[in-house]
Amino acid sequence: MLEISELQRDYITEILNISMGSAASVLSEMVSEEVALSIPEIDFLPRSVAAGKFDQTNMSKMSGVTQGISGAIYGDALLMFPEEKTLSIVRILLGEAVPVESLTEMEQEAMCEIGNIILNSVVSSIADILKKEIVSSLPRFIQGTGNEVFSVESSNHDDLVMFLKVDFGLESQSINGYVTLILNMDSLQDFITQLDEQINAIG
Amino acid sequence: MLSDSDSVARDVKAEQTGLLANLFGKVLDFSENGLFLVDSDRKVILWNEWMVQASSLGREEVMGAAFVEVFPDLKGKRIESVINAALDAHTASLLSRSLNKAIFPLYFSELGGENQRIEQSVTVKPIQSDGHDYCLVQITDVTPMVQREGVLRVLAKEAEAALEVAEEASRFKSEFTSTVSHELRTPLTSIRGSLGLIASGVMGELKPEIGRLISIACNNTERLLFLINDILDISKIESGKIGFVMGPVDLLAVLLQSIEANQAYGEQYEVRYVLNDVVGGITVYADTDRLMQVLNNLLSNAAKFSPKGVEVEINVIRKNKMVRVEVRDYGSGIPEQFKSRIFEKFSQADGSDTRKVGGTGLGLSISKAIVEQMGGVIGFNVPEGQGTIFYIDICLFKEK
Ligand SMILES: Nc1ncnc2c1ncn2[C@@H]1O[C@H](COP(=O)(O)OP(=O)(O)O)[C@@H](O)[C@H]1O
Ligand SMILES: [Mg+2]
Repeated sequence: MLEISELQRDYITEILNISMGSAASVLSEMVSEEVALSIPEIDFLPRSVAAGKFDQTNMSKMSGVTQGISGAIYGDALLMFPEEKTLSIVRILLGEAVPVESLTEMEQEAMCEIGNIILNSVVSSIADILKKEIVSSLPRFIQGTGNEVFSVESSNHDDLVMFLKVDFGLESQSINGYVTLILNMDSLQDFITQLDEQINAIG
Repeated sequence: MLSDSDSVARDVKAEQTGLLANLFGKVLDFSENGLFLVDSDRKVILWNEWMVQASSLGREEVMGAAFVEVFPDLKGKRIESVINAALDAHTASLLSRSLNKAIFPLYFSELGGENQRIEQSVTVKPIQSDGHDYCLVQITDVTPMVQREGVLRVLAKEAEAALEVAEEASRFKSEFTSTVSHELRTPLTSIRGSLGLIASGVMGELKPEIGRLISIACNNTERLLFLINDILDISKIESGKIGFVMGPVDLLAVLLQSIEANQAYGEQYEVRYVLNDVVGGITVYADTDRLMQVLNNLLSNAAKFSPKGVEVEINVIRKNKMVRVEVRDYGSGIPEQFKSRIFEKFSQADGSDTRKVGGTGLGLSISKAIVEQMGGVIGFNVPEGQGTIFYIDICLFKEK
């Protein structure tokens, strides 16, 4: 497993939280509602462990948004919440209560946009750290168990996942979700190297 | 130095490129979506037919113009910043219909009618080609989706309102039933008491014709009380107001007790209860009193629908985790057209006032509610020969 130092962890967390701040202000402006976003925790986990983390934590049904990333690093970026949390996020942001127990087509589209804003800012801060280009693709709505979402069966179990906890603050509620970046090993190694260079440059 | 053939080849290539560009332009004109392309100078370099129609801006006005000149109102808006992000940071973005009301000033051009703004969902994608950055903006008309969900929303709200009304009505009905039943029971009990005293003669000898009338009054008061008790019972079971005391119950003991309790009733119809192949030691998971109530109803039904002088048989059959208790009579059976309604409230095959046997038609519906509450099943079979088999399947008690 990939180990990162306390210093590296602090550095990434700080950079990500700055971009979360700007994502939050974009969202706030769009919905005229106070939105707060922060990333209190980050981890690097093998894909299967990350999937298990979802399934254990009593959140077996997850839904959220995924988009592909390519360029300097490639893989998938995901923003996931327990299914009922996704429902409340969208409905609070849209300010409309629909008496239907799953997201409608339009609500899914709105969720895609919310996820897109958050994931784009995570991806651009990583591109900033790498000082390289990362191309992101359009968001897609997904739902399923941890295993389904990470499609563990079909891909390499040892791929590492950058696992970020996100706090979504809305109407004095704090909703917990996760942003994960599924990256291949080479990409990650590169990422860590770049990280060290920058930390050293700061002194 | 360039040879002639080189320059010819170059001309041919340029011509082909021009032809292809033309062809692609035509293909894009067939698209059901609005498409336009912005280059790294933020200038519009492609504008398909859909865009021409919806924006009423022709290619000659738009091509080569800066995006913010084409849409001056969108300067500083989110759409401008995501186009910049696509060109500078290569991020793809989605602007949903719900979070961005009518992003571009685009309209359906309806002849004569008022122009209606198109409901849009917009995607913005970075494209890299030959070392240049472009941004493709694609607009989807989501008007049908908006209309569909509008209808869905109305329907869902109506359904919710209807459900509330129905729940309220059912709450009212069951409260009404139990209140009324309680209120009826008290005066009826005292009427029955008084009539009983008069009928017994302690208040003085009665003339025979008065005695007959009093006895009719007495019987009917009794019947009314039974009916009220049954109604009260079923409304309590249905509303979940009575708790079941579930626990291990010795089946044989309950059967013997029920049979004994119905002995006298059976004698009225000259019917004898026979318990076949008595198996002891079967413990079921049930509420004793409620189980007795079900058995009493099955046993009394069997007796009152049996011809005189025959037996009613009780069988116990073990199956897996359940046990079946069967009550078999040799009566006339259940009429075909009545079978589907037999467990309904107040249903009796012979609903006439002139029927020979008493009852309210509530016994089986109460029994069904009880058995199901205890996790069991009630039903009936038509055996070979005459009569009916009513059965209940209940859970065996399993030790932890
Ligand atoms: N063993 C039986 N044989 C024939 N008909 C039966 C039998 N048990 C029940 N029924 C029919 O089902 C009806 C409903 O029974 P039940 O709900 O117990 O009400 P009740 O006994 O008060 O009439 C009876 O009136 C009768 O028509
Ligand atoms: Mg009965």
